[in-house]
Amino acid sequence: MPTAVAAPALTPDDSDAARFARTTFPIDVRELGVQYSLRFTRKTTFRTSFARLLRPGGQRAFWALRNVSFRVRHGEALGVIGPNGAGKSTLLQAVAGIIQPSEGVVEVTGHISAMLHLQAGFDQDLSGRDNIMLAGALMGIDHRVMEEREGSIIDFADIGMHIDQPLKTFSMGMRARLGFAIATAVDPDILLLDEVVSTGDEVFRAKSKVRVHQIVSAAKAVVLVTHDMNWITEFCTRAILLERGGIVAEGDPATIVTMHVERSEQRRREKEAETARIMAMAPPKPSEA
Amino acid sequence: MQFVHEAPVSFRSSALRPGPLGLVAQAVREVWSRRRLIQYLVRADVKKKGSDTLLGNLWWVIDPLLQMVVYVVLFSIIFRRSQPDFPLFLFAAILPWKWFGSSIGDAVTSVVSQERLIKQIQFPKIVLPVASVAAGVVNFAFGQIVLLGLLLLMPGHLSIHVLWIPVIAAVQFLFTLALALLTSAVNVFYRDVGNLTRHVLLLWFYLSPALWSFERFADGQNNDVTRLGVAILRLNPFAILLDAYRTAIYGRVVTGADGSDTFTPGQVPDLLALGILALISLALVAGATLLFKRLEPAFAKVL
Repeated sequence: MPTAVAAPALTPDDSDAARFARTTFPIDVRELGVQYSLRFTRKTTFRTSFARLLRPGGQRAFWALRNVSFRVRHGEALGVIGPNGAGKSTLLQAVAGIIQPSEGVVEVTGHISAMLHLQAGFDQDLSGRDNIMLAGALMGIDHRVMEEREGSIIDFADIGMHIDQPLKTFSMGMRARLGFAIATAVDPDILLLDEVVSTGDEVFRAKSKVRVHQIVSAAKAVVLVTHDMNWITEFCTRAILLERGGIVAEGDPATIVTMHVERSEQRRREKEAETARIMAMAPPKPSEA
Repeated sequence: MQFVHEAPVSFRSSALRPGPLGLVAQAVREVWSRRRLIQYLVRADVKKKGSDTLLGNLWWVIDPLLQMVVYVVLFSIIFRRSQPDFPLFLFAAILPWKWFGSSIGDAVTSVVSQERLIKQIQFPKIVLPVASVAAGVVNFAFGQIVLLGLLLLMPGHLSIHVLWIPVIAAVQFLFTLALALLTSAVNVFYRDVGNLTRHVLLLWFYLSPALWSFERFADGQNNDVTRLGVAILRLNPFAILLDAYRTAIYGRVVTGADGSDTFTPGQVPDLLALGILALISLALVAGATLLFKRLEPAFAKVL
């Protein structure tokens, strides 16, 4: 539970900004483990649940992440790479406080802004403008701040006249742009991005690169999950390679990317060999028999 | 200008959870500090419900009115059972019931329908069922316009005692909130709850004195079985609530020993019963909040 270390800004020294500046590691993850119960998955009903009770044995839970420790300093942009299903998104969700650790500790100091889904957008039936305000309220940002920044968000996302239309009429690109604009416009101390920077057109990608650079250079912390290796080498000051819920390697982005590419290549070769082996076992076509 | 951040700025999350009292206190803080979020969610709900239909939010007024007409036709023409000023008699009970039914119906799915949001952003999930119940209040408030219209059309009922409506509604709000918290949390784990709720609500409606009243129960068959039945039905919280609304709005019709009806306009409802129900509901809200907070950490994983 985020045992809310509620920080009322009583004295200047105790302001949120000061607290953020004081900490060496805005993100401190120690021995993090996230366990998913297989007893309750999407859309469980009484019947499936009883069936599982009656049939004991079998796997009850699996660890999406285990023994994960890392820290992010001020001004660092950490890239997280790894194959699909390695636990990258789960890791970001744990850092964002969306998922509670099953073991270990996640300590975060500073305002977080997270964009964890491809088409952010909070309510499909509301207009883009209402969505900006709703997003702000969800993140706990003062409505006066949101009203003040509304204009710049709309400008940055380049939505124009469409902003008063319901979100469901927006294209994928528009939604991604709006989501990125909101997530970065709220002046976060910590920015978490999951696979969002690779969407949108060329111009927007350039704009968002500049924006992420600004946040990093303003001594803020960024954690970025992406399959786009260019982003990792270009942006990140450090990278971690995640495989099967654990950190395999950590270090210089270029080294980690090379390692990831090599390991993916090796896995691909192994898979090809496996496929070939299975195909060889298949009975010959009747025509050839 | 110093802005107050409504969410905790920094946090430390681990597998440790606070105790029961800590959880309930946390829930209260969350709801209070996120009141603006709740307000936005209510406004969004109101906007959405009105935007898809031709008559928009007028449906809030038309809907209970049409339902009343259906029952009036059914009972006074087909079953030939009626009361003086039957439309008002029915409406006084149907309006609060519709508030309850639609609030619970919305609340059950309030968490599961926001799956995307929950996986995308960290916020106290308790605001979702709270917003559903709060949106229902708006709905109920609109219905009061129709109620006032009926009271003016059917003279002889309106009295100062209609001022009890907000008091009775407050008790109903607590009771509704408790059930909303409970069902919304459990529905995340068992989707059956959503399906079951509709049928339970329907049965509950018929067992509550909405279409009938205790005064005329079983047409004066005064035997042990009937008395036992009445005693059990009286335990229903909506027996107390609907009876209270009807007493305050419509008044009472008492059939005397000679079979003649004596009618009295609006009166003071049974305050003792209401008070007890208020206390029980408060305890239920605390229990349901605790359960909700216990289950909340698992929402993002299960959805």
